Amino acid sequence: MNQRRNVRVNINGAVHDVPAVTNETLADFLRYRLGMVGTKKGCETGDCGACTVIMNGKAVNSCLVLAVEADGANVTTIEGIGSAGRLHPLQQAFIDHGAVQCGFCSPGMIVAAKSLLDDEPEAAAEDIRLAIAGNLCRCADYVAIAKAIAAAGKVLRAGK
Amino acid sequence: MNHVGKIIGKPILRKDAPGKVAGEARYVDDLALPGMIYGKVLRSPHPHARVRSIDASRALKHPGVLAVLTAQDIPGANSIGAIIKDQPILCGDVVRFAGDAVAVVAAETERAAEEAMAQVVVNYEVLPAVMDPLKAMEPGAPSVHPAGNIGTHFKARRGDVQAALRDAAVVLERRFFTQRIEHAYMEPEGAVAAVDPQGGITIWSSTQYPHRDREEVSRMLGLPQSRVRVHQMTTGGGFGGKLTPHAQCCAALIAWKTGRPAKVKYQRDESIIASHKRHPYVMDLKLGATKEGKLLAIEATLVGDTGAYLYEGRAVITKSVTHVTGPYYIPSVKADGYAVFTHTVPCGAMRGYGIPQIAFALESLMDELATRVGLDPIEVRMRNALDTTLPTATGQVLHASVPFKEMLQRTKRAADSFKPLLAKAPKGKRRGIGVGCSTRSIGSIRKSSRSTAIVTLSPDGSVTIACGHVDLGQGSDIMMAQVAAEVLGVDVDRIQLLTNDTAVAPDCESTSASRVTYLSGNAVRLAAEKVRRQVLELAGRDLGCDPEDLRLVDGVVAYRERGITLADLFNRHVYHEITAVADFMPETEPLDPETGQGSAAGTYSFSTHAALVDVDEGTGQVQVLRYAAVCDVGRLINPITVEGQVRGGVMMGIGYALTEEVKVNGGVSNPSFATYLVPTSFDVPEEISVEIVEDPEPTGPFGAKGFAEGTLDPVGAAVANAVSAAIGVRVVRLPMTSERVHALLHEPSS
Ligand code: FES
Ligand code: FES
Repeated sequence: MNQRRNVRVNINGAVHDVPAVTNETLADFLRYRLGMVGTKKGCETGDCGACTVIMNGKAVNSCLVLAVEADGANVTTIEGIGSAGRLHPLQQAFIDHGAVQCGFCSPGMIVAAKSLLDDEPEAAAEDIRLAIAGNLCRCADYVAIAKAIAAAGKVLRAGK
Repeated sequence: MNHVGKIIGKPILRKDAPGKVAGEARYVDDLALPGMIYGKVLRSPHPHARVRSIDASRALKHPGVLAVLTAQDIPGANSIGAIIKDQPILCGDVVRFAGDAVAVVAAETERAAEEAMAQVVVNYEVLPAVMDPLKAMEPGAPSVHPAGNIGTHFKARRGDVQAALRDAAVVLERRFFTQRIEHAYMEPEGAVAAVDPQGGITIWSSTQYPHRDREEVSRMLGLPQSRVRVHQMTTGGGFGGKLTPHAQCCAALIAWKTGRPAKVKYQRDESIIASHKRHPYVMDLKLGATKEGKLLAIEATLVGDTGAYLYEGRAVITKSVTHVTGPYYIPSVKADGYAVFTHTVPCGAMRGYGIPQIAFALESLMDELATRVGLDPIEVRMRNALDTTLPTATGQVLHASVPFKEMLQRTKRAADSFKPLLAKAPKGKRRGIGVGCSTRSIGSIRKSSRSTAIVTLSPDGSVTIACGHVDLGQGSDIMMAQVAAEVLGVDVDRIQLLTNDTAVAPDCESTSASRVTYLSGNAVRLAAEKVRRQVLELAGRDLGCDPEDLRLVDGVVAYRERGITLADLFNRHVYHEITAVADFMPETEPLDPETGQGSAAGTYSFSTHAALVDVDEGTGQVQVLRYAAVCDVGRLINPITVEGQVRGGVMMGIGYALTEEVKVNGGVSNPSFATYLVPTSFDVPEEISVEIVEDPEPTGPFGAKGFAEGTLDPVGAAVANAVSAAIGVRVVRLPMTSERVHALLHEPSS
């Protein structure tokens, strides 16, 4: 245990080459090694989705992925999607539809939605429900969240 | 008021949202201080045991370990609790539930702290435990606390219940059960603490009440409160669960003892095992009515399991007893509520605070009454509805803002709109409609409350509001900004809230009990009005006119065509800024301890809900298909935040109704989101319709009052009534899991 290995990973377009402990999760690597704390941890057992990131084009729970498994991967985190000053249409839609309250689930939820819309720009209501089924929100409601995602999908399609 | 309606009632977007959706908002675990160390809490595996000894010698040798702290290391008071401080921060002598804390291990890394924790040897003498509240009330049961297992007994008495029941044409009687549930805020508890060079301490906290954190830490360390400063970080949900700052005290103790900044955060399983829950109730209700469905009397015994500690149990039970008649007038009342100790995880505040339980029981009986007297469920409620002439269970007549009858009519329309769908149930499903109603006092009911706000107007027309009611994501900051903006004639973007720092914001009690809009909204309004008055008086002097004829808009005081800027006005009178402080305290009178009678609250809010559900005959699974919530907000301040609150509350209520139950087998046996099931995107109805009724509360800010908990209060009742209607068997126990409903369908006597 506790061996160190270098992890070379492309995060949001920038390459990081940083040592990680072999049993360190990608969530902890992002948060505590790189200080990218936008990715949240609500359970660390794969049950809440707060830690969702996109790895090689797929939404994953970063608490279930080891940092060393991300060696060589492309990772997108919430920081790579938009900033408070330059919001991505998904982020704007979450605000407009009242889909954010305490906000703790929002980064994971938005990353999961981004992954869906990347794959299926025309995602229907049922696809949206499914895509966020692993992302828990305790404050807002999934109806508002799903509406926000559908609205963002429309904006994104119109922009293409 | 010149500007009423310009800003109040408008869907203004909240300011915290962009940072949250961008992942830039900072929660406590996002914070790292130089030299910061980590603490892990060692907890008892036994529900009841004497702590004979704690041997930390091996743990202390573990690399990176700095300290293992126990009860003996606490310099001040070793007790904590929201209202009644009866939980040891670290148990020195006896543990009273599996999860009670005995030590905290501090180390350079989280991992080292965890590894070392496994090496602390606690020698326990296991003692007999009592896990069931009814057994705990029996003579000879093991005692949880020396004074016995009945933590509180609260009564309501009015009229002659026995005689009324004897004469009643219809008497209904049943026992109902509700379960223990978890808040399940997505962000687990946590805090960072650091000693400052002047010998004080600063805490960064995930909290609903920074001033309570300050109080508890100061008691524990024996420090004056003025030397403890608490910053609320962006908080990932609370719902009543972040009112007892245990993690905060542990972090503070480590920082105090080691001199290093320290972080303590709970893991999810730890959060579910150790944090307080919603009280499970056993409720015996007896309802008497005429054959026309007019209620005559209620007799109720409510037993709430408060677990190992009481901290809010007394207030929760009081809330249930004082609301035992729900939104109805019942002439004769006899209710007894008990908060009973057991050796289980403590129960305390949770959104709803004693109302969801009693609403489930009472509303179930209201439906039975409707069936017995041959009336529509809405009609029987209408016949007994409170209005501005009839008293609540505590004898208080609400003279205004009681729109319950209108709400019932709207809910009838919603339920009627579901009716055509009844016949369309797919094969293998049974479909039903249910309604649920409730009311609640706004703010605490056992004691008076006060909110204080400090409003400061700067010469550039910008405004700060210091008020210690923190926003947990429900949108109270934007509500307060709208109130001040309305009074001071400025744009909400010119207003900055200072709520989350005990050094600048006055103590306004906790963000709970649906009190923020009513109490702090009023304090902000009053302080802003004082500022406005002062400005207009100064300007009136300068302009030689009556202040009444002046308007304050966008940093300019205007008089006909003339105007004077605030900058000029302030300059002339040598003001750098104008500040005013105001308090708001609703008028209440204490409840009589023998009869529970009194005017307990400044105002009440009502809820009427309707649900359409499908029950799967094969599996017993319940799906809520449609949901309609009618809400009473007095006056709407911000439709976006209100609707968000309503939908979120309904969703939480659906979890309470259908899937959520903290199971106790020694300790909590389902401490994960894989085993404790909160609603997911598949569990919510396709549509939750929200109707807002505006019937202004004269004592509220612009007529507004609180409503947050009312969004959840009647959901369990509405869904249970819908399920009962669908399957033709009365549900008496929450949650209505597939197994339970399946059993009711196939062996109805079970
Ligand atoms: S933290 Fe990864 S799924 Fe919850
Ligand atoms: S907004 Fe709080 S958990 Fe989703």
